[in-house]
Amino acid sequence: MAIKTKKILVPLDGSKNSLRGLDMAIHLARQSQGTIIALAVKTVPGIYAIHPLGFLDFNSMKEVKKLLADAKLRAAKKGIMLTGKAIAGDPGYDIARFANNAKNKIDLVVVGARGRGSAKEIFLGSVSNYVLHKSKKPVMVVK
Amino acid sequence: MTSNSFKKILVPVDGSVYSEKALKRASEIVQVFDSKVFLIYVVEKSIPVNLLDRKEYLEILRKFGTKTLEKASIMLSKKGISSKLLLKEGNIFNEIEKVVKKEQCDLVIVGNKGLGSVSRLLLGSVSNKISQSSSCSVLIVK
Repeated sequence: MAIKTKKILVPLDGSKNSLRGLDMAIHLARQSQGTIIALAVKTVPGIYAIHPLGFLDFNSMKEVKKLLADAKLRAAKKGIMLTGKAIAGDPGYDIARFANNAKNKIDLVVVGARGRGSAKEIFLGSVSNYVLHKSKKPVMVVK
Repeated sequence: MTSNSFKKILVPVDGSVYSEKALKRASEIVQVFDSKVFLIYVVEKSIPVNLLDRKEYLEILRKFGTKTLEKASIMLSKKGISSKLLLKEGNIFNEIEKVVKKEQCDLVIVGNKGLGSVSRLLLGSVSNKISQSSSCSVLIVK
């Protein structure tokens, strides 16, 4: 296959737009027989980075896990392998770091144009924008 | 979802290394999705140029534009892809947006930087603007 996008990173946040991004990634993965890595980031306020008890609250990871399970199901229906990853931290920063990490061998990042941020933002969401600027890998913005 | 199939792809070129990269990427996608390609070069008219030299300057740009377009189309035709060439004049971003609306493109593929100032480390101004407010999906090739 001509397309060399074997590994596609899709950040998920549960919004409609991120699901659209997932659909697009599934579509691309089918063409290139690639795999998808779904990344769900649980937002952790920066203060918890200092406070050791901050990460003890694992209950809220449930939501993130459910999100990944849903995504897996969606991809499996189309016959695409999807590996889920859940991390806690700052969405933009961590997505960009994950994409740039050479170990992960990401070929393409697919993001929805907007996420959960304020609905008033007509154009590009802040996280999408951040990833767009900081990622060293090609980025596709799905509208 | 209808936009899942890339029927029409727009590739703005400016003769820089980055746009060449974008073109390469576009050719890969086109071969897989069997889509139509539009190449566009925009002669920037909105930059303030000395009134006396203006005509000459635009003439040079136009020549450069047709040259880069031809180069790009030759590169694509080597891979067996036919493309439609467009040479527009005016504001870069507005013209691109106009073509996207007129031809109902599904995807715009741009390089992450262009011919702009070197000091911009991250994302070029045009690429940034397209990704921010274009009405269709955008692929930014790095």
